[in-house]
Amino acid sequence: MIESVRLKAKDYKSGVKPIWCPGCGHFSVFNAITKAMAALAISKDDTVMVSGIGCSSRLPAYVDSYGFHGVHGRGLAIAQGLKVARPDLTVLAMGGDGDGFSIGGNHFIHACRRNVNMTYIAMDNEVYGMTKGQASPTTPIDWDHSKLTPHGPGVRPFKPAALALAAGAPWIARAYSGNPNQMAKLIAAAIEFPGFSFLHVMSQCITFCPEQTDWKSIVHEREEPALEDADEAARLFLHEDGFQTGLLYGEQRATWPPAGAAAIEDGALGQLASGFRV
Amino acid sequence: MTNTALATFLAHSVELEAEARERYEELADAMSAHHNEAVSQFFQRMAREAEQHLAEVADLAKDMELPQLKAWEFNWPEAEPPETTSYEAMHYRMSLRQAISLALENERAAERFYRGMAGSSDDTDTARIAGQFADEELAHAAQLQRLLEELPENGANLREEDDEPHMPE
Repeated sequence: MIESVRLKAKDYKSGVKPIWCPGCGHFSVFNAITKAMAALAISKDDTVMVSGIGCSSRLPAYVDSYGFHGVHGRGLAIAQGLKVARPDLTVLAMGGDGDGFSIGGNHFIHACRRNVNMTYIAMDNEVYGMTKGQASPTTPIDWDHSKLTPHGPGVRPFKPAALALAAGAPWIARAYSGNPNQMAKLIAAAIEFPGFSFLHVMSQCITFCPEQTDWKSIVHEREEPALEDADEAARLFLHEDGFQTGLLYGEQRATWPPAGAAAIEDGALGQLASGFRV
Repeated sequence: MTNTALATFLAHSVELEAEARERYEELADAMSAHHNEAVSQFFQRMAREAEQHLAEVADLAKDMELPQLKAWEFNWPEAEPPETTSYEAMHYRMSLRQAISLALENERAAERFYRGMAGSSDDTDTARIAGQFADEELAHAAQLQRLLEELPENGANLREEDDEPHMPE
């Protein structure tokens, strides 16, 4: 008889050592993911991490599960295709603010409205870190650290939660890299939510945005239960300070593909794959 | 009969030391990847010490069934266990002085945690062991304080010989 052994968070780490800068918030997201996987006793063999390009998109290599380091902004497209083809798998997509809201912005809004049963973690540090510190879609309007935008980008940053809500996302939460245990709880809840769950993580870039160390004193945890009404959530997301963490909005909605849709026939995937063989 | 208070306390102690060890290991690797070997070696040393403390706590708990708590079910004074170094306190250019100071703060936070448990627990075994752990953390803090005082100079926190972050455009 094979006795199942309860895995610890550390057991979900691949052993590949992260090369993020010391102080990077992405370490915290990595730890939170492994803690959530341990808490849910998720099978490594039935879990896939899919990412785009950027510092944060290195994460699949560090988790001991299946992984796909995709192309820039296309992590969500790959992840949705995978989940539709293999609904038995636990699929998590992840990436940064540039990958998710700029290069992959179109995929993001359509993933929100499509509502495939999967989780998307956006690790937002408000900067393109891998290319050495340029303004991203969530950079503050007056951030003047880059010579490309010496007076700041001059345009208002996206509000990811508001964007997700407007596009139809049924589950929206926010976490902060300074609190990996709360984040782990939210990731576990996101995985268990039957639909597209969007977790916006404020994940500091200590190297190019050292001012983000101040987030620790600004972040505050939401005490009220999650909103279930989209109108109320819209008011919240348009008027809040953006530093509220916790589950902000959750509403059950039909997922895609619909339950009545024809299942993929046996052999169809193999037939499709054969067309791509070299 | 299981002493629930003691089992819960020891589960927290195991988690505290395990998290401290893993974080120090992670930070040591990150510092090594960024060629800050002095700080990397110091964090490796701290990881080994946390490993020893973890083994001691595990030995105390070896005949007990500890509660299996999820990461967010532990009851800590702050967001993370007291001896765990915050990510945002790190920088690839940090000096050895800064690293030791952070570790010293961690030991003091752990001492406060255990001292608080010793003072507040109604269970005599829990209070006694927590007091013992608090004394050990105090001794570790004193060692780090001496190490800090033995450093040859009161240099800047960030290593001035290192490059600023490279922003080429």
